[in-house]
Amino acid sequence: MATTEDRVVDASEVAAEVSRGNLLTEEMVLNVGPQHPATHGVFRLLATLDGEVLVNADPVIGYMHRGYEKLVEARDYRQITNLVSRMDWLSGINNELPLALALETLMEIEVPARAQYMRVAMCEMNRILNHLMFFASFGAELGAITPTFYAFREREDIQMAMEMTTGGRMHFGFFRPGGLKEDAPKGFFQQALKGVRQVIERLPDYENLLIGNEIFKQRTVNVGILPQDVAYSYGVSGPIARGSDISFDVRKDEPYSSYDHFDFNVHSAPNGDCFDRFWVLLHEVVESAKIVEQAIEGMPDGPIMGKVPRVVQAPKGEVYVRTENPLGELGMYLVSDGDRRPYRLKIRTPSYSNVSALPYVLKNTYVSDMIAILGSFFFVLGDIDR
Amino acid sequence: MPEIALTTWQILLLKVAVILVVVPMGALVGGYAEHKVMAHLQHRLGPMYPGGFHGWATTLADGIKFLFKEDIIPAAADRKVFSLAPAAIMVPIIMVYLVIPMDRTLVVEDLDVGIFYLLAISSLSTIGILMAGWSSANKYALIGALRSAAQLIAYELPIVLSAAAVAMLAGTLSLNGIVEAQNFPFILWPPGIGLALFLVFVTGAVAEMTRVPFDMPVAESEIITGPFTEYTGMRYIFSHMFAEMGHMVAFGGIATTLFLGGYRPIIPWEPLELIPGVVWFAAKTMMMIFLFLWIRPTFPRVREDQLQKFAWKFLIPVSLALILFTGAWVLYV
Amino acid sequence: MGLLADDALRRVDTAVGNRLMDQRVDFGHVDIKVAPENLVEVVTALRDLEFLSCKFFTFLTGIDRSEYADEPGGLEVLIHLYSVEHVFHVNVHVPVDSEHPVCPSIVSIFRGAEWQERECHEMFGVEFEGNSNLSNLFLPEDFEGHPLLRSFKLPSRFVKAWPGAKDPEEASAGGR
Repeated sequence: MATTEDRVVDASEVAAEVSRGNLLTEEMVLNVGPQHPATHGVFRLLATLDGEVLVNADPVIGYMHRGYEKLVEARDYRQITNLVSRMDWLSGINNELPLALALETLMEIEVPARAQYMRVAMCEMNRILNHLMFFASFGAELGAITPTFYAFREREDIQMAMEMTTGGRMHFGFFRPGGLKEDAPKGFFQQALKGVRQVIERLPDYENLLIGNEIFKQRTVNVGILPQDVAYSYGVSGPIARGSDISFDVRKDEPYSSYDHFDFNVHSAPNGDCFDRFWVLLHEVVESAKIVEQAIEGMPDGPIMGKVPRVVQAPKGEVYVRTENPLGELGMYLVSDGDRRPYRLKIRTPSYSNVSALPYVLKNTYVSDMIAILGSFFFVLGDIDR
Repeated sequence: MPEIALTTWQILLLKVAVILVVVPMGALVGGYAEHKVMAHLQHRLGPMYPGGFHGWATTLADGIKFLFKEDIIPAAADRKVFSLAPAAIMVPIIMVYLVIPMDRTLVVEDLDVGIFYLLAISSLSTIGILMAGWSSANKYALIGALRSAAQLIAYELPIVLSAAAVAMLAGTLSLNGIVEAQNFPFILWPPGIGLALFLVFVTGAVAEMTRVPFDMPVAESEIITGPFTEYTGMRYIFSHMFAEMGHMVAFGGIATTLFLGGYRPIIPWEPLELIPGVVWFAAKTMMMIFLFLWIRPTFPRVREDQLQKFAWKFLIPVSLALILFTGAWVLYV
Repeated sequence: MGLLADDALRRVDTAVGNRLMDQRVDFGHVDIKVAPENLVEVVTALRDLEFLSCKFFTFLTGIDRSEYADEPGGLEVLIHLYSVEHVFHVNVHVPVDSEHPVCPSIVSIFRGAEWQERECHEMFGVEFEGNSNLSNLFLPEDFEGHPLLRSFKLPSRFVKAWPGAKDPEEASAGGR
């Protein structure tokens, strides 16, 4: 290590210090990432260590910055659907929704009921996929490798249903301003129901596997506490905010796309530690599965596309539309000057605001806790950097 | 049958050759078992293609792959120490096998202080891990090495104490003697104490092997296999994979010898005595290995401080108490 | 459902009405315009007053209206706040000077503003007085220019227009 430190301490100095009864210690800067298994991508953390204790943590982001907010200014609305789908690659179809909603608001398009129900069903299926992914990765980060395989087995049936409809497994490009690209194919409803019912049936097992495990509790309870007021002040949303006792869910507060037709609960937990965040995440899976069931069972007949002009051209105006992405509040502030391209599109992504709270939470934790905390913040790099 | 006269030296060389075959074979089989057992516990198949039948040649193919990988030594590394470390890790593990009795006569050296030698030598490889961690000039490796050393000190004690209790029961330090002195039904004798000693030993052994749930020193999602971060190719195999497997087979053998009656049949029944002792030994060892493999996909990882607390505040007091009980048993029963 | 936007606007008006340059309701959200010197006061009031309690910091960004069709404007900083308790939104528009954009920092009110101000600084060149760390967040250290200003053109798009900008009928054969 001596070669990498610029503060070279004379041996005699050390001896003198030690003879005075002091222990001469130095803090070490550990560079976590951009390539590190616990960061799910190119996320970097400059961690100042005192032994095993993290004195300070400074996240460095931007390794995957693609400049979406500039790119969209050069593209028309049809192209943006596929662009925003790539922000949070685990919940592609959820990313497409706010753009469609924003345009529908500005252009005053009525979306048919069937399209709305389909949107809800697909968004919630995507939410299950996303949450199961984080269930898998959180386990793996704590050293439990088995949840990964269980989660991927459950994901597959739902993934098949999505693929059947959209042709994609990650980037769907399925929502259009005014409705959907296509109607659901034959067999989609059965496949989707099979997938979500399986999840509802098997989830208690998974709960036992991790949440019931004593070691898991030791690793997560009272680790990485995010108090409620701090969560507010960082704009933390989604399962992480709900883990900090903020009962805030856009689907309930300001229902969009007929979410008010469905019966579901918003779970929140009081302590704001890793365990609570994970607990909320796991319980949301069941709620989402219930919504999918309701949506498919009550699926109305009718067209899947509203009356949309041939050229999608939003009138002048500004609107902020937000939806509940699996990871939190995804909002788009659309400024239109009447062109076929947005004049300015501010994309407010959940992971970005959530991760900005990391320095606060990581202060004075253990190195091993750092991994648990990073895992429990459920972020996707593409969503942070955009 | 022609008379074959061998000198002592020739016999010794032959025995050493056997060990040098047994250890890599054990590691290979252990590696394959790890792939397959874990896969089936996680409802998947694991490797299926290499070799044709259920991918039996996977570990072999892996070994060949690693053999041909480039041997990289980081520029900032301490070259000599860095290249010596894998040997310092491997040699003590191989030396453990010298005293494990696989049958009444099938043992390289039946030392009178067998158990003492075993415990002394099995902890030596930590020096190699420290060497690897320090010489890599990598902060992750350093953290891993320090964790590893701390873990060794903490978990060596329960192992030593439980082994000492076994030696007290048997009244000898020789491993052959311990096997012969064990009463049926092995770990259930003396009632309660035997099983408790076994559990303490297994816990300590899992920690010594740095396997889940005690794999903080090599936690791959955290410090990226710790001391071995910078190793590639064969050095990586020797220092990490091979060492872990070798350790696992060795501890399986030690546990078999100390608690499961070694090469003796599981129940005192005349026909069972016809089966060679080495078969019994192998079967019991494999059972132990299966237990070790089973633990891995079941648990998450314990945090470093919790790991230390568990050793010092729970495992060591318990093993001390067990020594007390064992002493009382030996004296009064 | 929460407050109706008109009701929310009345509450905002009661609280900080005299500090606002403009106030209205736009698509169900309260839209207010605040001069930079009043920003800290207004945002603090929005957060702390019981009947507003806009505690949720949604985002902070900039908008460059210099090429806005027909009615070009200047640069502005936009802060979006949300009241979880009363369920209403407030858009705080802060017009800043286009040549030397300066805006007071609200890091002391909302911690989350730290990163967002850094982003706004690199993307629009807005100086935030009171934010001690305005180094680049997304862009490389040595990046020149402020990409989200309208004057910053995407070079590749400048040379060759994006073919998809045209409708299929307009595009020549082979155009995507």
